[in-house]
Parts: sequence; C-alpha cells; structure tokens
Amino acid sequence: MEPIIKIENVTKKFPEGEGEFVALKDINLEFQKGEFTGVVGPSGSGKTTLLNIIGSLDQPSSGNAWVMDKNVAELSHKESAQLRNLHLGFIFQVYNLLPVYTVFENVEFALLLQNKTKEERRKAVMQALEWVGVENIPNKKPSKLSGGEGQRVAIARAMVKEPKIVLADEPTANLDATNAHAIIQTMKKLNEELGTTFLFSTHDEKVMQYLNRIIHLKGGEVEKDEIITAQNSKS
Amino acid sequence: MKLAFQLAYKNLVGAGLRSWLNVGILAFTFIVIIFFNAYLDGWNLQAQRESIKWEYGHGQLRHQDYDPLDPFSINEAHGKLNASQSENLTTVLIQQASLYPEGRMVSVLMKGIDSDQKILELPTEAFAKSDANIPALIGKRMASSNKLEVGDQLLLRWRDKNGTFDAAEITIADIFETDVTSVDAGQIWVPIERLWNMTGLRGEATYFIASENYSHSPLDKWYFKSQAELLKQLQEIIEMKSASSSILYFLLLGIALLAIFDTQVLSIFRRQKEIGTYIALGMTRWQVVQLFTVEGSMYSILASIVGTIIGIPIFWYFSTFGIGMPEYVTQQDMGVTIAQRIYPAFTIGLIMGTIALVVLSATIVSFIPSRNIAKMDPVDALKGKVQ
Repeated sequence: MEPIIKIENVTKKFPEGEGEFVALKDINLEFQKGEFTGVVGPSGSGKTTLLNIIGSLDQPSSGNAWVMDKNVAELSHKESAQLRNLHLGFIFQVYNLLPVYTVFENVEFALLLQNKTKEERRKAVMQALEWVGVENIPNKKPSKLSGGEGQRVAIARAMVKEPKIVLADEPTANLDATNAHAIIQTMKKLNEELGTTFLFSTHDEKVMQYLNRIIHLKGGEVEKDEIITAQNSKS
Repeated sequence: MKLAFQLAYKNLVGAGLRSWLNVGILAFTFIVIIFFNAYLDGWNLQAQRESIKWEYGHGQLRHQDYDPLDPFSINEAHGKLNASQSENLTTVLIQQASLYPEGRMVSVLMKGIDSDQKILELPTEAFAKSDANIPALIGKRMASSNKLEVGDQLLLRWRDKNGTFDAAEITIADIFETDVTSVDAGQIWVPIERLWNMTGLRGEATYFIASENYSHSPLDKWYFKSQAELLKQLQEIIEMKSASSSILYFLLLGIALLAIFDTQVLSIFRRQKEIGTYIALGMTRWQVVQLFTVEGSMYSILASIVGTIIGIPIFWYFSTFGIGMPEYVTQQDMGVTIAQRIYPAFTIGLIMGTIALVVLSATIVSFIPSRNIAKMDPVDALKGKVQ
C-alpha cells in the first residue's frame, strides 16, 4: 500500500550562533493511512521539527517529505496552505484556540476557508463537537473553558474538515491524568471510526499506552521504530 | 475578502476597549474634519451669494484707471458709455467726500447708483420715496459707527469736477443690513442723477454692474471683471483659511492613524501564535496580511459609522441654526464677507470624501506593519518567537 506520508533522507538544520544546529539527520520514515503513531524522545530530539515538516509549516534543509503525494520541499506558500486546509489537522499543546471566537466559531474557522455553505458548516461543526463531547457549549469563549474542554475543542477544530492526517504536538502536556486519558481515547475513537491517521509528538507515558507505533528520536536520528501489537496497545 | 471582513469584525469587537478607543478618536477626527470643511464651505457659499447680491451682480465693467484698492485712483477714474454700450448695466460713480456727523469729520466714499436698478439688493427704491434734497442710503455698520438713524440730516462736503469744494445737507433715507462690508463701512449711496448734478460729471461712471443678460464685448478704456473673477479673491481667502485649518485636522488624523499603527504593531507582536494558528489552519500568509489590514481599516469603517451617528444631530443642529459670529467680527471690515450666522454646508460629497480619506489612510497605516506577517516563519509564530 502506498504510504500516506513518506520521509526520504530528510535533514533539517537551524542556524545557531556562528554554526548550525542539526535538528533532523537523514531521516527515513513511512506512515500508512490510519496509523496512530507517536514520535517520542527528549527535548531537542527533533519531534516537533518532524511534525512541522510533515505539516508543511517548515521545509527540510535537504531530502523530501511526501505528504498525500505532495513533496513539501517543493510546495509554494499557497500550495502548502491548501494542503493544510484540505488534508491536515493540527492539535497544539496549548490548544491555540482563537480567543475572540466562540467554541462554535473556532471549529467553524477551517470550514470558512473551504467556502462551505452556512448549513454545511453548522452540521459539520455540531457533529465534530459531538465527537469530542462538547456539543453543549458551542457559545462559550475559550477563556471560559477548562483545559480538557479547550483541548477537546482543538480536536474538534482539527477533525471538523475530516482531514486525512492529524498532527498533534504534545496534546496532553497541559492536562491532568483524567483529562489526558479522555482526550487520547477520543482521538483513538476517531482514528478507528474515521480512519484518520494520527501522528503525535509526545513524551507522555499515558499517550504511549494507546499508540500502535512508537518512533523513538534521539539527537535528530531515529533510534528505534517500534510497532505495538494489539495486546500491548489500549483501544 | 468577505471572510477577512467577517474575521476582522469579530476580532475587532472581541478586542473590546482598545478597539473602541481607536474608533472613538478616529470618529472624533472624522467629525472635526467634516465640521471644519462644512463650516468653511458654508462661509464660502454664503459670502459668494451675498457678494453677488450686494456688490458684484453678474460682473463689473470698470474704467481702466479704477483700482478698488487704490483710493488715489478714484477721483480721476470715470468715463462715459453710449446707450447701446451700457445696455443691461447699472451705473455706479464713486467720489470721495467728507461727512460731518455730530460735528466730527468722516471721510467716506460717495457712490451714486441708478435709483431704479434691480441687480443689487441695495434698497434704492428708498430714493424715490424720499422727498429729501439728497436722499442717502447707508449700511448698518456705517450707521452704527456714526450713530446715524433714518431721517437724520447731516452735512456732506465734496469736490466737483473742477476741484471746487461744495457742501449740502443729506438725509438718511434708509439703513440697509448686509454681510458685505465693502458696500457698507465708510460709504454712502446717493441717486446717480443727484451725484451727476453735484459733481458736474453728467453721464459718467466709475464702473457698471452687469445684469444677467449683459454680454461683454471689449471696449476702449474699460475692462470687464466677470463674476467668477470677482469671486476669485474671496475664494482664495477662504482656501487659505481652509489650508490653515487643514493643519489642525491633519494633526488629528495623524494622531488617530498613529494610534492605529501602534495598535497594529502591538497586535501583530502579541498575536503571533494566533497568526501561526491561522497559517496552520490553512490560511495563506497574504490572507493573514489581508485580515490584519482589513482589521486596521475596519477601525475607520466603524469610526465612520460611529462618527455619522454622533455627527448627524450635531451637523443637523448647526446647519439649521448656524453658528453666530461675534459682533466685533461682523461689524468691522475684515476684508472678507462674513455673515452674522454661518450655516455649515454638509454635503454628501464632503462626507463621502472624508470617509474615503479616513478609510484609505487607515488602510495604508494598517498595511505597513501587517505586511511583515508575510515574512514570518509560521513555526516561530506558533512558538511566539518572532522578534
């Protein structure tokens, strides 16, 4: 089966003082549709950089990153924006909800960019809010949400356009254990029901219990690529 | 673009007090610009209208030696036209004279005018109604400064065409009220027939006032000043006043735009994560630039709406009841016609032009900081690391 994401010899360097810092060193990875995969490793191991390249927010210094058959290294700003708009969902550690919008409007935002009709947007938003269990608070502002609610809304925003890939950067880092489990279970459910590919960067043990695959990064290199069997993975 | 407007509106309303302060100062500027311009336009229109009614008519045919600004030119600047040349013209002859109210001597310009003229608003019909030897019309300012009333008799001294002094009693037949000081202060109007007799300058004129039907063809020793030429000086004075006033409202506009610029710079710095999120959600960088630019220009759109709502009753009040000018301004010859009450002229063109000026300038100052978004690295923006 053709991989949904293919990373070929990707290296990413950042300028650092007089020299440069190598965040990713000649990485080669493939991800299949429907994976529930975590990229784990200590701070500075290159987890977020890898997710940013896959999310076409950043470009590799060398190598190719194929996402939905599009080489991120060669996309223009407009093309990468289109890729993110149509096929990628993002979940951030601090939720990044737009503060002046309500829950409904935050989730609706991605659909506004897709020029969906008002009725289409309303249906999709309410369905996404139901998926994550916050359908009863559509008019709340982000400042009035608890941490768990905020991250659920962020998931709904990522899922409302039914993207092929969701990239989650430390999604449970700001949550307590109960909320972290609930959030990860919600994402697992969506992964199973909708077949969406989830790719996490995390070092949270609670998240790792649910993963099908764990990629260990260290110093910008793949240290271990671990497939988790069904018995070892929670569902 | 529609999306940018929707989002900008939500962001602006959501930003609360900061937005309303910017909108408030911009709305104030908007009202001040419109008010000042309307005030000057109103003054201009009234001054032009009054000058045409009281002094200029549809133009003046002047003797070549006559210079209204040179008193030494007056006594010698006169000549004759034949009947066909003076068709549709009203004759005015000017001579210098001295008036003796209550024993004081006052230098005046004595102007003779056709009693049956209909071009100017001067109440020359009062000449025919008076049985005085020399009936005279004076303006309210002249009457006030010399304590004269209708029916008063006083001595007038003048020189005839040979330079011989002569004197006679004149009678104030009527006192007229006008905003045009140049037909009032220091002047008396007498019937042209009487002035011809008094000076021996029969049939002579210093200038003629043209009626609507007058058509000018060049004449030896005479030059024609059209109505537009005569009004030009007035317009230039008001334009000069307008230019000096514009310094005030450009300063105000500058302060308002600086506030928007400052808000935009701060907003872009503080909302880096939001900008990163917009890009992550699928907006192009230029869409985000557009969003922030529209947000800045939205201040001016809201300010125009707020300014219009607040301004309409203010504009209505002043355009209906006018603005009273101090008496010392209207009672003196300030070199320009000033009405006792000025009614500002709020035109659609002025309001729309001001809206366009405010919106355009706000859009430009919003775009300048916003275009930096296009250079932002979305990853740094998401981390809030852009300097």
